[in-house]
Amino acid sequence: MRLISILSNSKAYELLRTLQRDKSASTGLWLLIVFSIIVLFAPIIAPYGPNEAIPSLRLAPPGTPGHLLGLDHQGRDILSRIIHGTRLTVITAVTPVVIGALVALPLGLLAAWYERLGVLILRTMDVLFAFPMALLAILVTSSLGAGIINLLISLVIVLLPYYVRIVHQAAASQKALPYIEALRVSGTPVRTILFVELLPNVAPAAIVYGATVLGSIVVTAAGLSFLGLGVQPPLAEWGVMISEGRNVIFIAPHVAALPGAALTLFVIACNLLGDGIRDALDPRARATLSYQANLSK
Amino acid sequence: MIRLIINRIFATILVLIGVSFVVFAALHFSPGDVARTILGLGATEERVQALRQELGLDRPLLIQYWDWMMALLRGDLGRSISLGVPVSEVIFDKIWASLLLMGASFFLTVSFGLLFAALSGGYHRSLMDRLITLLMLLLASLPPFWLGIVLLIIFGLKLRIFPISGVGVMADDATLYVVAMHLILPAVTTAASSLAVVARVTRSAFIDEIGEPYVQSARARGLSQRRIISIETMRNVLPSFVTIAGLQIGFLFSSALFSEIVFNWPGIGLQLYLGIVQRDFPVVQGCVLAIAIVFVVGNLLADILSIALDPRRRG
Repeated sequence: MRLISILSNSKAYELLRTLQRDKSASTGLWLLIVFSIIVLFAPIIAPYGPNEAIPSLRLAPPGTPGHLLGLDHQGRDILSRIIHGTRLTVITAVTPVVIGALVALPLGLLAAWYERLGVLILRTMDVLFAFPMALLAILVTSSLGAGIINLLISLVIVLLPYYVRIVHQAAASQKALPYIEALRVSGTPVRTILFVELLPNVAPAAIVYGATVLGSIVVTAAGLSFLGLGVQPPLAEWGVMISEGRNVIFIAPHVAALPGAALTLFVIACNLLGDGIRDALDPRARATLSYQANLSK
Repeated sequence: MIRLIINRIFATILVLIGVSFVVFAALHFSPGDVARTILGLGATEERVQALRQELGLDRPLLIQYWDWMMALLRGDLGRSISLGVPVSEVIFDKIWASLLLMGASFFLTVSFGLLFAALSGGYHRSLMDRLITLLMLLLASLPPFWLGIVLLIIFGLKLRIFPISGVGVMADDATLYVVAMHLILPAVTTAASSLAVVARVTRSAFIDEIGEPYVQSARARGLSQRRIISIETMRNVLPSFVTIAGLQIGFLFSSALFSEIVFNWPGIGLQLYLGIVQRDFPVVQGCVLAIAIVFVVGNLLADILSIALDPRRRG
């Protein structure tokens, strides 16, 4: 409840105002609103079903009457598949970012509170850090098997080390503050200190990180589907569509190029908003840089 | 300083042990029979039984890990199902092409990253600054597997400037020119997003420096903006530049994987992809392990370099 009230109070309103003044962040916000509308109403907006095929028009180029963006190798309308594909593309990226934060919050809080347990948790995260992002996701999905659920699991695992480190840092700096000390000596149960008092002060750091990382998770999620490890054909998803189009780039380059353009636009929107949120909430990010530069003078 | 470096090396060895355990566990936690996974679906029941005996799958997991680890230290990573040769041979065969691609991409990332940062940060709020900032936003958002395909369509198929496949780049008679022509598109694809991140972070470092009093005094002495950017502020921008460039190595590994696949580049990433497609688990395991080891050791070297460069930590 505290968390909800923190998010809905004037701070959230202030953030929205700041983002509104930031021209590029508000562009990103508007683009994401448009994408959300497409996600919600995809079947109504799309002129055809995602797997409705007209074999006689296979590989027809963009501008074919009735098919603005042309057709793919099976004669399916590309515009319709892009619109339907927005759903899986957005879901496979947003879900792990949300679940990752929910898993990392207790882990990070416990790691900050109990130092021995913290060493164990942080060292485990160090091992996960040793894999480049896409590589760890590939290892997990190729071990668990391809599919949407395993894709989500692998992306949560990929995100955990980053989230846990951030939550741990935020919690450790809060832990040293007098209000926590006061709670501790007054005999407040640890459970209450961690999940009622500390959590609302630590959650914003995780939320900001989630907003900034969304763009790269979109790329990684679509990339895994591109490799055949995530969403499986014939489902409409942008990574899958690019991968299918790759087989026909010599005769019909638009089949691979168009879904990728949609993907790029979506990532741009995520990055614009993510940068805006980081700048609005964390002016320290830039201050740190100049601080480092000053130190080395 | 020596003590700090020894600590770092010790920590890296611990991380590598953890990494090997994760790669080992990935096989053992995968659903289905381990021996069947290793031998592939085409193997006969007798061979699966025999391997099950050999691996001692009924023994405790840690003992199995110990045996696997000992074999690994001898360089034995098992046999590829699809190729029928030892995995270690496959990896040593392919790693050079990957290192070449990584080296070229890293060079592009640091050189163009710094150049764009200086041109936009040094001329803050100019038209050039705005254009470069926009370009960097685009580059940072391009998925490597799609950028590769688009470059392939434009420069390989339409304009026919560059070859469309990396096969042949490691041939013995390949001249420097041939290698360079093959390398350009995959390297640009790999470097694009890291380059943009480096440029963006270094740009803010330039902007912070431009506001400092010493820059104003340099300007008052009549030094040109070009000299101020390239000489006066450069020294103070370098620490944050080196830090952010070092952080990009991991992202480069991820993008290199995709660009190897798109351009048919005969490296570890392509081999990993083929391993996935052919359900050749020993190859997948070996390639992941090889990339992770190169990555961890690369990070260690970058760390040692930054310790050696930083007077505060030299001690």
